[in-house]
Amino acid sequence: MLKKVSVALAITTALWSNSAHSQELNALVWCDHTDDALIKPFEEKHGVTVNLKEYEGTGAALSLIEQSQPGDWDVLVIDGVDVPRAVSAGILGELPTDQLPYDSLFPELVMEENHVIDGKTYAISEKFGYNTVSFNKDKVSQEDLADMTKLWSGDFSGQLAVYDYYLPVMGMLAVGLGKETANLTMDDLPEIEEALLALKDSAASVGEVVASQTAIATGEVDILVGGGEWVTAGLTATNPELDWMIPDQGAVRWSQSIGVFADSKQPDLALEFVKHVLSPEGQAALATSSCYWAMPANSAAGDMLTDGQKTALRWDQQSEYLAKAQLYPAPDSELDAAMQDVWTRFLAR
Amino acid sequence: MSQTAATSLETAERRRAIALAAPAFLWTLGFFVLPFAIMFVLSFWQRTDEGLVASWTLENYRTFFGETAYLEAALNSIEITLAVTFFSVLLAYPLAWIIAEELPARYRRLALAMAIIPFWTSYVVRSYAWTLLLAKRGVINTWLSDWGLPVLDLANSRIATVTGFTHFFTMLLVLTIYASLVQMPPNLKRAAADLGAGPFATFRHVILPLTMPGIAVGAFITFAICIGDYVTPQILGGGNDLALPQLIMLQVGRRADLPMAATLSIILMIFVTIAYLATARYMKVEGR
Amino acid sequence: MKRFFVCGLYLLLLYGFIFLPVIVLVVFSFQAGRFPIPPFQGFSLKWHEAVLGDEDLMVALFNSLLVATVSSLVSLVLGFLAARAVSNGSLPFSKGIRGLITAPISVSYLVIGLGLLASLNLMGIGLSLWTVGIGHAVINTPLCFAICLSAMGERQITAERAARDLGAGEMSVMGLVTAPMILPALIAAFLLSMTFSWDEFIIAFLLSRFDVTLPVEIWSLLRSGLNPKTNAVGSLVFLLSAFVVLAAELITMRRK
Repeated sequence: MLKKVSVALAITTALWSNSAHSQELNALVWCDHTDDALIKPFEEKHGVTVNLKEYEGTGAALSLIEQSQPGDWDVLVIDGVDVPRAVSAGILGELPTDQLPYDSLFPELVMEENHVIDGKTYAISEKFGYNTVSFNKDKVSQEDLADMTKLWSGDFSGQLAVYDYYLPVMGMLAVGLGKETANLTMDDLPEIEEALLALKDSAASVGEVVASQTAIATGEVDILVGGGEWVTAGLTATNPELDWMIPDQGAVRWSQSIGVFADSKQPDLALEFVKHVLSPEGQAALATSSCYWAMPANSAAGDMLTDGQKTALRWDQQSEYLAKAQLYPAPDSELDAAMQDVWTRFLAR
Repeated sequence: MSQTAATSLETAERRRAIALAAPAFLWTLGFFVLPFAIMFVLSFWQRTDEGLVASWTLENYRTFFGETAYLEAALNSIEITLAVTFFSVLLAYPLAWIIAEELPARYRRLALAMAIIPFWTSYVVRSYAWTLLLAKRGVINTWLSDWGLPVLDLANSRIATVTGFTHFFTMLLVLTIYASLVQMPPNLKRAAADLGAGPFATFRHVILPLTMPGIAVGAFITFAICIGDYVTPQILGGGNDLALPQLIMLQVGRRADLPMAATLSIILMIFVTIAYLATARYMKVEGR
Repeated sequence: MKRFFVCGLYLLLLYGFIFLPVIVLVVFSFQAGRFPIPPFQGFSLKWHEAVLGDEDLMVALFNSLLVATVSSLVSLVLGFLAARAVSNGSLPFSKGIRGLITAPISVSYLVIGLGLLASLNLMGIGLSLWTVGIGHAVINTPLCFAICLSAMGERQITAERAARDLGAGEMSVMGLVTAPMILPALIAAFLLSMTFSWDEFIIAFLLSRFDVTLPVEIWSLLRSGLNPKTNAVGSLVFLLSAFVVLAAELITMRRK
């Protein structure tokens, strides 16, 4: 009896640590990095296991890192605007620029002011897109949405849903109010809050990625505030009536960057992973991930994407879009807390 | 048997009992009481840019009482939970009654098993299934418009959250109320009727008091689980009806502010304690 | 007659309410179209196939079974031992100890999970399936304790005493007398714990890292897009649970 139990225990323990490969790479990422199409080729090529932990929001990532032991993590995917924060916290290590595809990177995405500190490069852009307006062409026309302030005027009462993330949506409203996202201060908040609460009165729902996607794809609402290609591009095949646009005032551009942890125990393998994600194949898989679609930072990925995919991503109109969009706000911790308070009031309304 | 032998036997028994209870006792102490105590202490700490700062300040509690959105979330939670408890009892009682009193005995087990079948579906998926039903283009509204009736705004609202919750807790209450109904001596009802009590008076003065423990236990469990549930309001509320557990998860997921999350958890437990005190006296049959 | 109709109507309505989401869930898992909402565009098994072919989901399913089995075993052993200690009346502070062991029942899972998360953080212990298992054993120990306790009585105490008088050691008394006497209760407690752990979301969500359990994996599936695959997972989980319940029912019925 006792023997049986111990055998069972041994099997259980063996199964519990069920890793096919001895070496493991731990990456802290956004949900678009979890597809097999992106991860499997790397695992097979290097004979390693990639452990992925998804997170939402830089605050959560920083606290996850804080709670871990040094050396636990190898690769970090983070909001481009938050790279300086991560560098000053000593989280990211230096990247060798000569091994990365800077030649084919979209020039706007090099973002030296974010990625290079004291002459050292700590991260590289991998994907970008816009937080703007997604809409149903059959119900609303592009002209109706040209003026962003109309969204919270009450004209679209009950017709719109709002994406539940405070930075892009508040940044977008700030752009609509004629502010610059890079120079937001506490004094700008009351005006933004007023617009935000007015927006809530017109909103049928506030939800995360899937809830937002569902709401607009099933006809629950006609407009998604904070949406963009990342909501609708993946749906164009089944829902041709869905589209996205940038209003006259502009919109917010988000970009995500990837880097290697300063205390990674296997910096070489981690760098290989970064190179894999930045390769044309990796970029194409990342751009069309099941979680959300968006433009790859490396223009070389264009050869790997189909024309249909490129159209959905608006590959050829990027220069016009990039010109119209401002970067995501990157608040200091005081402003960040205040913005989250405003967002909580928005949710509770 | 001599006196001392009996005492030493008792001592041995007691020692054995202590040894048997020790694992569960220590387990609960280590993984339940201690974490709770740590959380209580944590609720007085502060989250700053540098990380957690150990302190004894009421700042987090002050934030809760000073910020209308937080108070509103607490109020939402209490309103939702009370509504759910009320509707669940209202729906479950007649069902438990019909199963226990009206159905032939051989069908009872089947009827009960059927009543709790949805319990075996995944909890996360169950809430999701309700969104498919309640959505603007969902099943219910499709039926309504097929019959020429106006489409209802059911999804992404308190109605949706309360419906999803009530669906789950009705099952639970059917079980607890059924259990107290079958424990009731059958001759009591007859005695009441013999004494000239009408069906309503019998119910009001005999049956209801006797089944009160079942209702009270079920209602308390409903309250305790419902007020602490994150999944249902998150999936069904559509961001229109912020509940306390959602607020707690916002602290954990977006702000990494464990102290504030701890504070809100302590406040949540205070509500549960109040609910316990309010229902505890009904949990036992009145000794008459 | 009127009474019959009123009761029948009520049963119909309430069972309708109870079954509606389950039926809709299962029906739309066979949806041929892209979205699990009306209109039904034809019958297809592709979403079920997608689920069975999804490695992450299958690994999560396996993790769930593992956590459920191990944590339920721990809960059962702890609950059984404690119930035996309380049942024979010689435990000092019996009432207080009973209260403590059953206390986790009335605390929300979210609070239990957060408490454990905060404690593990402070102690520098990393998250894994083990920590999820600990959380689940915390919520299931009171359950097993209560079920075992309610099955123990005079009859079994007498039998134990008899066995001990005949010279049986404590381990043999428990293994050969107590456990067989309350076997149906032990099975019921174990299976109920299994289903609770198997379906638990928030503790597993807070206390896991790379290896996740099925509800957590379903949660991320839910967040990655509305599609009938979620319906298919839900239906399959339902089928599996129904099978376990049915098996348990048959086992306990045969013993009667």
